[in-house]
Amino acid sequence: MKSAVSRALVFAAAALAALAFAAPASAQLHVDVNQGVVQPLPIAIPDFLGGPVGAQIAGVVRADLNRSGLFKALDPKSFVDQIRDVNVPPNFANWRVINAQALVTASAANQPDGRLRVDFRLWDVFGENQMLGQQYSTTPENWRRIAHMISDAIYQRITGEKGYFDTRIVFISESGPATHRIKRLAIMDEDGANPQFLTNGSYLVLTPRFNPTAQMIAYMSYAENRPRVYLFDLETGRQEMLGNFPNMTFSPRFSPDGNKVVMSLEQGGNSDIYVMDLRTRSVSRLTADPAIDTSPSYSPDGTQITFESDRGGSQQVYVMNADGSNQHRISFGGGKNGTPVWSPRGDLIAFTKQDGGAFRICVMHPDGSGERVITDGWEDEGPTWAPNGRVLMFTRSERNGRGAQIWSVDITGRNEQRVLTPGAASDPAWSPLIQ
Amino acid sequence: MSQSLARKRSRISLASRAGDRRSPLAWAGSLLLHGGLIAATFFTFTHSLDISDESPPSIPVDLITIGEKTNIAPTARPAPQIRPEPVEAQAHPLDVQTPVIPQQEDQAEPAPDESPSEPALKPPEPTPVPQLKPQQQPAPAKPQKPKSDQFAALLNKLTSAPATTSNAKPGTRTVKGIGQMNAMTMDLVDALRNQISQCWTAPVGAPHPEQLIVEMEVFLNPDGSVAQPPQLTADSAAAVASNPFMRAAADAAKRAIFVCAPYKLPADRYSLWRDITVTFDPRKMLGAD
Repeated sequence: MKSAVSRALVFAAAALAALAFAAPASAQLHVDVNQGVVQPLPIAIPDFLGGPVGAQIAGVVRADLNRSGLFKALDPKSFVDQIRDVNVPPNFANWRVINAQALVTASAANQPDGRLRVDFRLWDVFGENQMLGQQYSTTPENWRRIAHMISDAIYQRITGEKGYFDTRIVFISESGPATHRIKRLAIMDEDGANPQFLTNGSYLVLTPRFNPTAQMIAYMSYAENRPRVYLFDLETGRQEMLGNFPNMTFSPRFSPDGNKVVMSLEQGGNSDIYVMDLRTRSVSRLTADPAIDTSPSYSPDGTQITFESDRGGSQQVYVMNADGSNQHRISFGGGKNGTPVWSPRGDLIAFTKQDGGAFRICVMHPDGSGERVITDGWEDEGPTWAPNGRVLMFTRSERNGRGAQIWSVDITGRNEQRVLTPGAASDPAWSPLIQ
Repeated sequence: MSQSLARKRSRISLASRAGDRRSPLAWAGSLLLHGGLIAATFFTFTHSLDISDESPPSIPVDLITIGEKTNIAPTARPAPQIRPEPVEAQAHPLDVQTPVIPQQEDQAEPAPDESPSEPALKPPEPTPVPQLKPQQQPAPAKPQKPKSDQFAALLNKLTSAPATTSNAKPGTRTVKGIGQMNAMTMDLVDALRNQISQCWTAPVGAPHPEQLIVEMEVFLNPDGSVAQPPQLTADSAAAVASNPFMRAAADAAKRAIFVCAPYKLPADRYSLWRDITVTFDPRKMLGAD
């Protein structure tokens, strides 16, 4: 009897306790936040410890992250604290004061073996924890690449997406009067540093494209007055005509595995798309239409190819399987649409839209849906993707005839920026991340 | 009513027992008993008042002000304040003595491709120093303003501040614990949403941003500051563990909570907003996807 009573009491107490805990949960406020802002993340990057090279590396990292539009590297003059030891956690309150949300502390030092070693840490200023800690070691003259790799690491940790700073751009450098334009193949780092000419300008070159290892460039050249697709080996400087075609070949692009080149072949005013296997040099034809089919570009998985064709009466974007089957038009957003390029991420195709007298860069999904205009220039054309599929470069010409320039833009349409080139430049191609 | 009956009954019994003979004693007894009765009456009366006051929750005052409070909507983001002390007193015991993670070691080293300029090249001209044009500097600044307009147009599904007011049911008597979106708490939800939105950098550029929905529990101090780091709900924590984009989205959401603090909320209702659940959902910010 007594135990029954005490059991009942225990039960009642338990029920009460359950109620007491359950009540606040059911009454808890639930806030749905579905509007945000798109603004750069304030990040503090003090000069790295270790003298001038530390300051130089920090400067490159700040410039990289600023250029991305997703970060705002705070002015070092605003810092109220100084980093003295990268192995001690910073005083976070001193960095919150200047509204830094992330902080980089790093040191650079020359090692006894002559190599340069850089240790760096990325801190979450509000969460007060370390987000990343890495160490790089290289020959001192490679300090810029270390800077770009650190930028890539920060970008990836904070956006979830791989970076694109340790990359190169190959482009056509233009000089001389409009009547006698000299076009040379040129290459530079993504931030415009280390520009170099690869050809001497004695013949016209067009449409350079990187292979997946960033070691080989396919392009069209008028060398010896025979307009053909060539390959340029960056390591050896060797150039090679690709195949032995009777007529003009142009608009080349590598397959994602680097084993094939897809391109256009012109025959009697008609051009069709062909693919050449670089290992066997065998060629197969993918389109057979009396219209002009050109600008082929593989999907990142290599199963499909997007291209432009005027078979329907005006230039439009099409998609087909990699074997040439199932060719169908995907651009229905008005105007003429060409130069499609499949995003390395696979989710979008960038292209040039000609409508109302203007050329603009657009993106759409591979099924043609979700078309968006993302640049607002007068003559923007020839998009190329950053390896992370987040940023595009393109050629911009202005009405005043100042010559072509290379610009970049985020796929959201924000952060249009001019890419620094020595003189006029066009037809950029973005490399994959350097291995 | 019952008290007066009791009084009558006691007077009758006194009269019958004492009769008329000992009237001074009867007077004294009567006075004593009457006094006691009156005192007892007071006691019962106050007690019953207590009960009647307790049964309906004392909240109607808040009901009156709901309309206005919901309209304070776009609270400007509080100016970043210098906080003399860290949000959390207990610093994380960071193990900084551990060596730097050497996962990237030597990655930068070989760089066989660093030499596109080597003499093997054809007769390319000497590497030109890039003559940076003077107009390169202003370039980034120029597009800023028009671009933000255009961005809004591009992501044309951007809606204005959610009109949650229309859901309010003015005048409806709320029952304790009815749920989160009742008339009593809607103004708080609005105020919090408006403040957090100012600080949340939505992951609109990531692949499949529509999947990057983050839910977390947030703990606030009475002064509106963050009491302890937000805790991801189990679903979100699982997604973060397997998806770097979710991790980035969750970090961005946590930063929004910290950066926007302290929150401006009515102190008298702290119990309602001490512990809240916040869902960050970028779907409405996306374009025609």
